[in-house]
Amino acid sequence: MIPENLKYTKSHEWIRLDGDRLATMGITAYAVQQLGDIVFLDLPKVGAKAVAGQTIGVIESVKAAVDLYAPISGEVLEVNTLLAENFEALAKDPYGQGWMAKIRGAEEGVPPDLLSAAEYQKWIAQEAKA
Amino acid sequence: MEPLHVTPLHDRHQALGAKMVAFGGWRMPIQYRGGIVEEHLATRRGAGLFDVSHMGRLSISGSEALAFLQHSLTNDAAALSPGRAQYTMLADDAGVAVDDAYLYRFDEDRYLLVVNAANRANDLAHLARLARRFPGVEIRDWSAQLAMLALQGPESEALLRRLLTEGTLPEARRNAAATARILGVPVRIARTGYTGEPIGFELMPPAESAGALWDRLIAEGATPVGLGARDTLRLEAGLPLYGHELGARANGETIPIFACPLARFAVSFAPSKGDFVGRTALQRQREAADLLRNGDATRHAEMPRRIVLLAIQEKGVAREGAAVFRDAAPAGEVTSGTMVPYWLPDTANAHALRPLACALVDSRARQGDVCAIEVRGRRLSARLVARFLDTRVPPRALPLL
Repeated sequence: MIPENLKYTKSHEWIRLDGDRLATMGITAYAVQQLGDIVFLDLPKVGAKAVAGQTIGVIESVKAAVDLYAPISGEVLEVNTLLAENFEALAKDPYGQGWMAKIRGAEEGVPPDLLSAAEYQKWIAQEAKA
Repeated sequence: MEPLHVTPLHDRHQALGAKMVAFGGWRMPIQYRGGIVEEHLATRRGAGLFDVSHMGRLSISGSEALAFLQHSLTNDAAALSPGRAQYTMLADDAGVAVDDAYLYRFDEDRYLLVVNAANRANDLAHLARLARRFPGVEIRDWSAQLAMLALQGPESEALLRRLLTEGTLPEARRNAAATARILGVPVRIARTGYTGEPIGFELMPPAESAGALWDRLIAEGATPVGLGARDTLRLEAGLPLYGHELGARANGETIPIFACPLARFAVSFAPSKGDFVGRTALQRQREAADLLRNGDATRHAEMPRRIVLLAIQEKGVAREGAAVFRDAAPAGEVTSGTMVPYWLPDTANAHALRPLACALVDSRARQGDVCAIEVRGRRLSARLVARFLDTRVPPRALPLL
């Protein structure tokens, strides 16, 4: 199930906008499933600058390392440090306990290229076929 | 692009929910539903079942078969009696591996050479070229007629024994080979493998019988294992992978055979061996490598870097291409690296993960040295070790922590 209340990137991050330019982000259930066994997370530091579409961290699975991209520009306010000791949370609850970072958006509003749940669903169906 | 080859077990992989990927021209399972960690651990505690039918199986026969093998391969094929197998290499004149391979002698009059999937066509061309001088040799590609499975792990022997319908398993020592009937079908069986398991088999049944054998092995308790865990298992065992620790790397750089520690078991300078392709270069490589091993760097220029095992001592994963530093100076780079799972000793079912790597580093680095591996701007400390796994005490391979 892809939560309706979130926005998505083509690189499989989700983002939740909590008002006052505060955004929470993580990776989608589909991303977790595609990665397989996650073994290491390199999350941004608090205070780091995020630029929409650019790398702010790395997720390592046994198979490979994949970049984590910032869905919006802003400043990293908080990082889920518990996640490094609890990769299970990513598999079990990617949209809740599996959150990765909170970002204070540089501007009001949502970047226009973020996907809705329906659009993201279509995107992964397309990707699976490729 | 050419369409991908599929093995006789392709539909079974899909039915088991495998994630399929392109590998060496083949469509192969990278993992099944359980995932790489589970598959790796199942092999170390139970029995892992691998479809390795993508590898090339070539037969060499005829009156000049032995003379041809002695000329074309690096190991001493004359030392191979029927019922035995040996690790060997196809070398070029510079002493670089064209491929690494296993040579089996199931029968008196025919040898079977198992080569890497991606190198099969090139190996065939290389061997055919060398065979021009040996009119009495016949080389045939059996890859489509014979399938190949690996069954590896402490439970593999008991499991296989239950399915034996005629004959016996090869005698209980590494590299023993025999033909026996399993489920009524003649299967070539050898105590070989690519996991480091002290107990493990490779099975070559006729292609049309492979599916039934595969199904039955799973029904008896074997866990299907994909290429992902095959790689973590071989890395933990410190075994080289062609294109990474041997031969030509993706960046075009070539690795001298003796830069890889396991190579010495694949090269023979015995009097019975005589001259062979690459011998002069290999002899020089061995001399330089022996001196370096004893801390003598006088011939360092001949072998500036060699393959080592690095146990990373902090959190982080070093991947291929990561730079290695020794005394703060650039000393080489990682050739393979990932997080590898292991059973926590003395626990029923608890496991942990550790980052391991193979690297091509300055040959002056010694065992016990601490290096640094650069990963995304951070330097991870890593110790140069002789091995990651103790594979010498059956039935289980144990992690060296």
